[in-house]
Amino acid sequence: MSDVTVPAVLQPSQPEAVLGRRALERLDLLLLTVESLDLNGGEAMLWATQQLGFETVFPNRVELWKRRCHNPLRRSTRRGSLSAVETEALIRILCAMADRLYPMLRQLLSSREPDNLSRERWGLLDQRLRNLIEERMNLRRGAIQRLLDGEQARNLQRQLVLTLALAAGPGGVDRLRASLLDPNP
Amino acid sequence: MLKQSFRYDQTAARLEIDGLPDFSANHGTNAIGILSSWRLTMIGGPEMEGQRDHLEALMAAVIPYARLQLSGVGKVQGNDNGPVRILPTEQGHQLELISSRSGVPPLTLELDDADLADLVRCLDALRSDARVCINWPPIVHLPLPKRELAERTPLRQRLAAPILGAGTFMVLGLAGLFVPIPTPEAPSQEDNQSDAQETVISNPSQATGER
Repeated sequence: MSDVTVPAVLQPSQPEAVLGRRALERLDLLLLTVESLDLNGGEAMLWATQQLGFETVFPNRVELWKRRCHNPLRRSTRRGSLSAVETEALIRILCAMADRLYPMLRQLLSSREPDNLSRERWGLLDQRLRNLIEERMNLRRGAIQRLLDGEQARNLQRQLVLTLALAAGPGGVDRLRASLLDPNP
Repeated sequence: MLKQSFRYDQTAARLEIDGLPDFSANHGTNAIGILSSWRLTMIGGPEMEGQRDHLEALMAAVIPYARLQLSGVGKVQGNDNGPVRILPTEQGHQLELISSRSGVPPLTLELDDADLADLVRCLDALRSDARVCINWPPIVHLPLPKRELAERTPLRQRLAAPILGAGTFMVLGLAGLFVPIPTPEAPSQEDNQSDAQETVISNPSQATGER
């Protein structure tokens, strides 16, 4: 088995990606959703960083947190943008985390799950995400207010969970990167 | 005995492929270099099977469709005359498979978001499996053009800002028409005479010399 082809899905289409403002917001919100799905999400993210070999990019949790603070919607935001290496590392960490949480994401998205169970699961996610948003984000921003507003919040949360499910695993890295590089409409 | 079968399982999807190693390309015995058939089973749906080109068409439709879903764009993927199409519906997604055999009606599968994610994971797993030594057609994911992204916003919302802008401009323009234009007063004769008598001194040193 010497002639092993490299699957095209793993070849990054744009590895030198530098994210814009909206994409930074979205990437951090996806990481926040991961944290609300996994109570130990912060630790798991650090563990994933080491597993994927990104210790040089994010040597500790503070460095990881500082990069996430480039999100302009944060309460304590940092100026500037992420480098291409940092962006790639964050995308890969997110996809690895989504892969780990895939069974939970699937349960949330499935229409075959009992209604009452599904409602409770979404309720729990909603509550945890709200707590994290209120703790870390600037509540005066319109985008954050939309995330906390009833019907709009439900749609946005579903879109975040669907994004994580479709970006889970190594096959999702390219898809997620491309979608983060979409221009602002 | 050389026939190999690999299976990719998710909760609602199972993809199985059968094939043989291609010894002319130095494949080992535990590899597939020539795909003979594949089967896809989705929970609650009939089994689908086909040849390599059908599987490639399935990948070419489903994986880019998932990419579009990440950007919130629901758009049909797959050719009208091709064997596979996937399109968004109110309930979720609809996968259509058109058989190449005559007299076989097209197969339609209703998928929810979880089923779609399972199917995409099965296809990703197959494409990244090192034991499958097949050159799949590349699928390159690129950022979407602005036009496609704009389509996900409702027309009313898209038109609101330009209509409001044009309306404001017109209202201000009309209001401007009612503002009276100031007319400059014509200079009187006395003013003209006094102006003519005044000597203009441009250089202050000339003025002291005269004294």
